[in-house]
Amino acid sequence: MDSIFFYRNSEKSNDSGKGALQKLKVAVQPNISVKGWPTEAGSAALADFKALEDAVVAERLSGQGANIVGSVKMSEFGFGLKGSQAGCALAEKSADAELMLDVAGEARLAAARAGVYGFKPSYGLISRIGLVGLIPSMETCGILAHNIKSIRDILQTIAGHDERDFSLPDEKMPDFSSQKIDPKKTTLGIIEEVLKDLPSGKRKVLEKELEDLKKAGFVIKELSFPDYSQFMLIHQIVGSVEASSCTGRYDSVRYGRRAPGAKNWNEMYLQSRGAAFGTLLKSYLFQGAFFQFERYNAYEDACRLRAQLVSEMQKLSAKADFLVFPTHNPAASGTVDSLADLYEQFVYTAFANVTGQPALHIPSTVDAGFQIAAKRLDDGRLLDLGDYLLSHRHGGKS
Amino acid sequence: MEFEAVIGLEIHVELNSATKLFCDCPNNPGDEPNINTCPVCLWFPGEVPRLSRAALEKAALLCLGFNAELQPRSAFDQKVYYYPDLPKGYQLSQAHLPLSRGGWIDIADEDGTPKRLRIHHIHMEEDVAKLVHEMEGRLPISLVDFNRAGAPLVEIVTEPDFRSPHHAMEFLKALRTQVRYVGSSECSMENGTMRVDANISIRPKGTNQMNTKVEVKNMNSIRHVGDAIAHEITRQSMAVTAGESVVLHTRLWDPDKKVTLPMRAKFEGPCVPDPMVPEIILTKQEIEDLRARLPEMPAVRAERFVQQYGFSAEEAIYLSSDPEVAAYFEAVIKDGVAPRTAMHWLTTQLIPAVKDRSQELAQIKVTPARFAALLKMLSNDEINANAAREVLAQLFDSDEPPEAIVSAKGFKQVSDRGALDEMIDKVLGEQAAAVADFKSGQGKAMGFLIGQVMQASGGKANPKIIRELLAKKLV
Ligand SMILES: [Zn+2]
Repeated sequence: MDSIFFYRNSEKSNDSGKGALQKLKVAVQPNISVKGWPTEAGSAALADFKALEDAVVAERLSGQGANIVGSVKMSEFGFGLKGSQAGCALAEKSADAELMLDVAGEARLAAARAGVYGFKPSYGLISRIGLVGLIPSMETCGILAHNIKSIRDILQTIAGHDERDFSLPDEKMPDFSSQKIDPKKTTLGIIEEVLKDLPSGKRKVLEKELEDLKKAGFVIKELSFPDYSQFMLIHQIVGSVEASSCTGRYDSVRYGRRAPGAKNWNEMYLQSRGAAFGTLLKSYLFQGAFFQFERYNAYEDACRLRAQLVSEMQKLSAKADFLVFPTHNPAASGTVDSLADLYEQFVYTAFANVTGQPALHIPSTVDAGFQIAAKRLDDGRLLDLGDYLLSHRHGGKS
Repeated sequence: MEFEAVIGLEIHVELNSATKLFCDCPNNPGDEPNINTCPVCLWFPGEVPRLSRAALEKAALLCLGFNAELQPRSAFDQKVYYYPDLPKGYQLSQAHLPLSRGGWIDIADEDGTPKRLRIHHIHMEEDVAKLVHEMEGRLPISLVDFNRAGAPLVEIVTEPDFRSPHHAMEFLKALRTQVRYVGSSECSMENGTMRVDANISIRPKGTNQMNTKVEVKNMNSIRHVGDAIAHEITRQSMAVTAGESVVLHTRLWDPDKKVTLPMRAKFEGPCVPDPMVPEIILTKQEIEDLRARLPEMPAVRAERFVQQYGFSAEEAIYLSSDPEVAAYFEAVIKDGVAPRTAMHWLTTQLIPAVKDRSQELAQIKVTPARFAALLKMLSNDEINANAAREVLAQLFDSDEPPEAIVSAKGFKQVSDRGALDEMIDKVLGEQAAAVADFKSGQGKAMGFLIGQVMQASGGKANPKIIRELLAKKLV
């Protein structure tokens, strides 16, 4: 058994000999459709399901000469990282880059685990056609790679209008091309409420890193976001409600496995769906159904609060060009047995899924991980900062 | 105690756009089962709904036809429930931000006074699949036909302004006419392109109470809607008189027994905003452009027919109630036929003949131009009414011009005064008794003599000229 790959491409490699991604080996996850490949999204709900056509991202990657080498084992519907081998193909160099959905911060966390760069683009840049999602308003296609250049090349390839995806906002595509960062004209913000929750040892390492950047000329600003802890709550409520209706289609009527022996359609639904989903996902779907049917007002409040958080975050963006976060939560438990365990892992990443802004994990000596975020559609500038930090480190330390 | 009914209607209209609401599948639910499906309307993983602009425009025109206010911003929600006719566990519908608000339809009350019935809002939604229950040997099975899944619907929700079955029936007739006018749907309850639910409550006459309502479904004609409402008013009045209370529930109309029967409620949850279908934004300009596409609406056209052609209100309403009839009528007029002649022959001859042949006005060989040519021959006394009726029957099966049929059949009227003079003299010579009767003041003898001359001409003589000549000769 392959320990990392769920499916390996046995066909000959893409030798079209042209395109910006020539010779780049890209792994995907089996919730990103590649025509004819098993696309089970890590769930028994899609057992034996084969993609009917390429996802737009897969089609565009191939169009630019990339080799899609296979799909990597994933968590159920890409929610959390339980059972996921995301990033491992990069660590063992069987892929140069990997695409995976970032639902609550999975791409950034997987990158941190593998010691590579992990990027979550702005919401609305990448066509959803062929992406088997879970939380439509929060997730987007994340990119893992060994360097910023690959991330930028892939972003430039897969982002942009798609006439078949009407859900992409009707707005001008930003310029992703590389530009120089001038530290003296750049403000980095750190949120007080984020720092304060870090264990003091980890906090010192992060502060030391910021001190270094200050020496390099950056303006460092400590900012306050009193409602920061609300991001988790909003992600849980809105995310679970969306996940609950998004998985409604897995009913075994048109595809998927139908549990045998049901006496009527109601039993068929209960038994088939009961067998289709794992415990963790099931409890998430229950939670979503609970908010939808029993606590609708709380759900509505959460939607309002989400809009408020987005605008508060926009105000912070007026005070700093970029925000600095840790990536993973040192306090999170290693095993994920409950929704609480799962969410604990995403304390420092879920904000970007709630607001739709881009965020980038950068490999560093900071043991809680070093993550930077920009305002929505500033993806190009965020990657510029990533480039700068990389060269700065090489210049200063190695 | 005397009760009055408070009634509101919820009307689903299946739009006749070429494609479904969120994909490019043909919107033909009646085709071979599951032929009009694709990964989008079967909700395969990774598919994204794409709102059809054409369906949106059909819905918007329908709203404008009712003087409704199109909303600059409207959006789709998910109506969540689990049933095999719903391929993704929720129906896309506009629960919070409907396409239009307000609007009305004017009808005539029982005693003929005008009454305005208001519309609360109109929203769009997708239709669900059709379930067919069969037996496979002794095993009951359910088959799902997804041809209808994702077909575009609008739901028209009225204010509780209705007080009687008459109001509901007149409203539905006017609604059907108007929707056909804007071309958004056939609106046939018999074919299922219009489906009506009625919410009915009663209260002591003259009060403003809003009491518990009962929803009645499953009527498949406008007459049934009237019957079901009448039955429900009686049922509730008797229950309340007997001291029972009305509880909120849904009942089904049984057209055979002519009663409403309680049905088990379908579980339905609240609606959450859909994160995939973008909001519908309509600019002022877009709304004005749509309004400019509205045809002349039936009430306006009927009023114009009264003014322009001197018809009575009834004649004008009848003629304008079907856009095809009205258009046909105006095309005939344009070819130079007198309005009253055109109206008379269209309503008493052509339309019944079309119905007899189970055809559609738009498809028959009797085009407005051919019909007008026939009527002009009649008006010019080239043929008489009997001949015109016979030629009309021929026009349904023949491509020949009416003039050719008239000459081939020898229907041309004899208007040649010399020839008629001879015939009249001959008849007068033979019918001395009738001539004497006429001269002694018995007016009906004139009719007899005209008939004799007609007979002598083999039915081709022009009766007007016969009368004129006879009158001269008998002085
Ligand atoms: Zn379709």
